Amino acid sequence: MRGIDRRLLQNFDWALLGLITVLVIMGLVNLNSATHAVSGLAEEVRRQIFAVGLGTIAFFVIVVIDYRHYERLALPVFGACLLLLAATLVFAPVTRGSQAWLFDGRLQPSEFAKVGLILALSRYFHRNPPGEIRSLAQLARPALIIALPVGLIVLQRDMGVALLTLLIGSTYFAFVRISWKTWAGIAMAAVMALISLWMFVLEPYQQRRILDVIDPGRDPLASGYQAIQSRIAVGSGGLLGSGYLDGTQTQLRFLPTQHTDFAFSVLAEEWGFIGAVVTLSVYLFLLLWGLVIARHSKDSFGAMLAVGIVGVLFWPAALNVAMVLGLAPVIGVPLPLFSYGGSALVTSLAALGFLMNVSMRRYVF
Amino acid sequence: MALDEIRGGRLGAGLDPAIESRIPFVAGFMVVVFGIFGLRLFQLQIIEGEQFGRLSLKNSVRSVQLEAPRGDIVDREGRTLATTRPAFGIQVIPTDLRERERTVKALGILLDADSAALDEKIGTPRGRSRFQPVKLARDVSYDELARVESHRYALPGVVTDIQPRRHYVEGEFASHLIGYIGEIQGKQLEQDEFEDYRSGEVIGQTGIEKLLEQDLRGRKGGRNLVVDVAGRIVDVLDEEFPVPGGTIMLTIDRDLQKVAEDAFLPEVLGEPGKLGAVVALDVRNGDVLALVSKPSFDPNDFSGGIDTATWNQLSNDEWRPIQNRAVSGQYPPGSIYKAIVAAAALQHGIDPDEPVYCPGKFKLGRRTFHCWKREGHGSVDLRDAIKNSCDVYFYQIGLKLGVDRLAEMAKAFFFGRRTGIAIGQERAGLVPTREWKKRRFRESWMKGETLNVAIGQGFNLTTPLQVAVAYAAIANGGKIFRPRLIRQTIDRDGVVIPGPPVELLGTVPVDARHLARIVDALESVVGEEGGTARRARVPGIRVAGKTGTVQVVRLKHVENLKDDEIPIRFRDHAWFVGFAPVEAPEIVVAALVEHGGGGARVAAPITQKVLARYFAGRVEAAPAVEVLESEAGSGSGPAGEEAMSEVVDTASGGDRARN
Repeated sequence: MRGIDRRLLQNFDWALLGLITVLVIMGLVNLNSATHAVSGLAEEVRRQIFAVGLGTIAFFVIVVIDYRHYERLALPVFGACLLLLAATLVFAPVTRGSQAWLFDGRLQPSEFAKVGLILALSRYFHRNPPGEIRSLAQLARPALIIALPVGLIVLQRDMGVALLTLLIGSTYFAFVRISWKTWAGIAMAAVMALISLWMFVLEPYQQRRILDVIDPGRDPLASGYQAIQSRIAVGSGGLLGSGYLDGTQTQLRFLPTQHTDFAFSVLAEEWGFIGAVVTLSVYLFLLLWGLVIARHSKDSFGAMLAVGIVGVLFWPAALNVAMVLGLAPVIGVPLPLFSYGGSALVTSLAALGFLMNVSMRRYVF
Repeated sequence: MALDEIRGGRLGAGLDPAIESRIPFVAGFMVVVFGIFGLRLFQLQIIEGEQFGRLSLKNSVRSVQLEAPRGDIVDREGRTLATTRPAFGIQVIPTDLRERERTVKALGILLDADSAALDEKIGTPRGRSRFQPVKLARDVSYDELARVESHRYALPGVVTDIQPRRHYVEGEFASHLIGYIGEIQGKQLEQDEFEDYRSGEVIGQTGIEKLLEQDLRGRKGGRNLVVDVAGRIVDVLDEEFPVPGGTIMLTIDRDLQKVAEDAFLPEVLGEPGKLGAVVALDVRNGDVLALVSKPSFDPNDFSGGIDTATWNQLSNDEWRPIQNRAVSGQYPPGSIYKAIVAAAALQHGIDPDEPVYCPGKFKLGRRTFHCWKREGHGSVDLRDAIKNSCDVYFYQIGLKLGVDRLAEMAKAFFFGRRTGIAIGQERAGLVPTREWKKRRFRESWMKGETLNVAIGQGFNLTTPLQVAVAYAAIANGGKIFRPRLIRQTIDRDGVVIPGPPVELLGTVPVDARHLARIVDALESVVGEEGGTARRARVPGIRVAGKTGTVQVVRLKHVENLKDDEIPIRFRDHAWFVGFAPVEAPEIVVAALVEHGGGGARVAAPITQKVLARYFAGRVEAAPAVEVLESEAGSGSGPAGEEAMSEVVDTASGGDRARN
């Protein structure tokens, strides 16, 4: 690594770092408003700043080590993640219906599992080029790799994260060469699976949340409440917003979980259409930049890793914003880099560390 | 380094073309998804933004009404009769109740209430209603409030509040006149008159409270509060203070009213003496000085919303305490009517000095009509006939004039007509005529009925107010004034607005000399030895008046019974109406006691007390009234001083009398 330093610095992806920094700062500023009503610089903001520090360290540690080493580490890391998930099932207490937190709610292993999963999948698709995969049978092994963590998370009854993990894993399937007929079959199977999921797995409250997307006015004070209040918050922002720290929906706490799941509602209320569009644009730009990095990667592992990282950011962001805007059910998916949550922030920054890693080393060879 | 180790793809060996070719699709997908978000934001924030803005405002701004204190009602001297006082309420906010069991128990002790009942009142509210205060006690005493306040810190979740509450200073006093308040009813809300009222608001439901609702009401204030999701007040946006209602000055004199009310107390009148009415008027302008109806009720019971038990008790009571007997109770006038018959006689040229012989009975065809004095009055002229209340004299007058002439005169005195007093569902009473009977019963008038009418029995029905108005006309030279209740109003801004002006409804067609003759005779009733109403005398004051006793059932049902053996509902109604001073009359007082017995014995003393109070300042220390009473008290028969003819059909009169 001695000889790498100079060229690494030359190729350092300042644009990526800039985009990340902008989003993290916006997230902190927004969190300050979301927790403002309590008093001053709330405990949450302090903890989030601490997580930013921790995430930054993780980011740079991951950047320094050439990503090609991670190819070998992929399976042990993945195994460790699965073990951690299993341990959660054994040791974690049940909080709010799910069993997803270790160490007094300070650690959420399912967050790390996403990164473990994309390492494992990147390794698999590096060794088995997706271009050569033409039949469903060939997908059995990657499907198993995805099913392991997803299954464990389902057992924790954390449906939102399970769905997310599934979607992130599925990102890779965009690259395999399977005919549209096969996909249609899969889609059929998926619909069947969803119906049986609705009938046999989902709790009544989860069913209600889905119905509430279709018609939030159904029961305005019960399960549709969050959806309605979020739409009111977003809508009342108008073009320019109500102003920082001046959103009545936010400051008077009409928004539920406004610092975590509904952080984007706060932003949309206080900064209006312009603020929301600018934020989403920064987000989209970051994601597209990630794809550019994948495109310019020097090998399939790097490309697959970059695509996986983009998936890790894209899916929760899409689900969260869709939920906030009333386009998807209220599932507890936070907005990466933005919502309050230490584990999630550290994981996101670590994941972006991999992206930076790939980006910096595209000219190495 | 092992980095170039190959298995499948080689690290650093370039990109799988499949990956390269699919990346644009993935990018395209993301752009589309974010594009949809952008459109959705445009829809919510730009197109529907205004609407959501309103919803957001509705979320956080709560308008609270500030009740305006209702205006005072005062008597003619400015003495307060009805006012508004602060009422302290105790509430709890369920979500703030820590150690609920202990707190509720403590409250039960402090408020001297059943803590289990309190606990039930709180219930187990869920959702946002956990933050809404629950009223446990509406009107606690100052002591109870102080007890709760001093333990405030040991009772988290318990809060106190102050609400204006209607207070009737004298309690059960002029209740029918002043009226009571109550929550506005569904029916009322639909009327235009109440368009600016909201459900739950309190309005005057009867009496002056109802009549002058708009003046008494005041102007509500309001407050726009910013509240958080829990309904907790965060900020006050703006505030408008309530303006208290105007003050109503009545024509009523508190002291006279009080004397008249107290005259009905059981210890004064004897059980069951609480039914009846008193009307006192200023004969010079129609001002109502006292208006009593008994039994009555305490309007304070209505102030905090009357409870069902009390209301049922009031409305189901067989003696109908809610009814204002003074203006809507209809009774045969009895001998009181004789002054009107006398006026008709004089006006139609009958010589008052021509004597009539009263043998104690009067034969008409095959029927015999008795005088109340069975042994007869001997030879009597008009003056004697009024003084002694001789029935035979008036039978003959009645026959001479005929029922329609009597009716004509009675109507001129406003019998059978509403005087237009503004409260209490006034009723017109009834003055029978030939035509009326034909219309009503499809029967011709019988001569015998004229005899009954001539002594105020039979079909005749009058209200105590009518009696007072008619005698006021006798006293004041023939003028009928509309009874006036409101002297003046002092509005919210302190401007004095005079009440309705004195209104002359008419003048009775009786010459002054005739009226003077009647007044002279009426004075003899009270003032002369042998008059029927010696008990109405007020030392130092010349009082004129007339008694009346109205049989409720046929005499034969009760004639063999002693006074106190007659069932209450079969006892006679007692009347007395008097005015004073005779030389320049100022006040007329009509008193009716339902089932009270003889007019002289029961009703005259009530009038006497009111008159005595009215003239209290003008007469030197009043000589003992007791002596006067014992002097005239003995010797009354079961039906008082003027029992009636047996054949008079008073059974129907009795029924009507209770209407």
